[in-house]
Amino acid sequence: MIDEYTEAAVQRLLTEHGGLAEQGIKVVRRERVLVLCGEVESRQRRDEILRLVHESFPDVPLSVDIGVTRANAPTEAEELP
Amino acid sequence: MIRVAAVGDVHMDQDVVGRFRPALDRLPEQADVLLLAGDLTRHGTESEARCVAAEFGGLGVPVVAVLGNHDHHCDQVPQVVKVLTDAGIAVLEGDSTVVDTPGGALGIAGAKGFGGGFAGRCASEFGEPEMKAFVRTTSVTAEQLGAALRELDCDTRVALTHYAPVPDTLAGEPPEIYPFLGSYLLGQAIDSAPTALAVHGHAHAGTERGTTPGGVRVRNVAHPVIKQAYSVFHLG
Repeated sequence: MIDEYTEAAVQRLLTEHGGLAEQGIKVVRRERVLVLCGEVESRQRRDEILRLVHESFPDVPLSVDIGVTRANAPTEAEELP
Repeated sequence: MIRVAAVGDVHMDQDVVGRFRPALDRLPEQADVLLLAGDLTRHGTESEARCVAAEFGGLGVPVVAVLGNHDHHCDQVPQVVKVLTDAGIAVLEGDSTVVDTPGGALGIAGAKGFGGGFAGRCASEFGEPEMKAFVRTTSVTAEQLGAALRELDCDTRVALTHYAPVPDTLAGEPPEIYPFLGSYLLGQAIDSAPTALAVHGHAHAGTERGTTPGGVRVRNVAHPVIKQAYSVFHLG
């Protein structure tokens, strides 16, 4: 069972841990698993989130759905007459 | 026509250097200026600022930035600003700059901005010193942004902030955190001058498009929102 205090602690860890500083990750408490979803700027950051959250909360089952934001050039502009 | 490129919340550090560069090398074909809408770094360190300088310096078009809350975290703002300025990136905070483009003089007024919330559900300058200081910070930055916009001598005005001036572009974020994402005072400042476009970042889960009560178009260009290296807007 994952309680609200754990959810809050994970949310704050994501922002306040010196190795993470991520404010854009959504933490969703499900019945048997804590889901982390959102986007980060590199695969290393996603891996580090998983590592540090698991290290701090070893008994919390995690489901991680974090992508790396695409950085391609735009294919079209927005016209604002 | 003036072509404006913009992106925010790139959160640079060593692990991101080079990711934007292939797209940025094509930017001069697509835009006359690049705006960076804050949260350029992860923690606001001088070394992270050097990563920003390496990625966004020397592009062949003027680059104009404001800082974000992440860029303040390590209390190294003067060092961060110096690294960026040395790389040719103009950093605005309550002031403005004018860029000459083939489509005319583009005036950009910028400020990081701050929170407080939106009409009917906003914080007030009342009570504890901490609360008054919070709201006062936003009031002061909004007053400076408005003055900078009104004083610009140019053909086309753009407002650049990190925090949001309207709630429209926050749709997708939890409503409970709107007061930490922006303030109507920024929108009121933008509406005090004939502004063509307002761009901001900060709200990673927000949406791209909105308008101020006065009808100024607002765009959230946070990188996770636009999902490309930068967006391009054609003005006029």
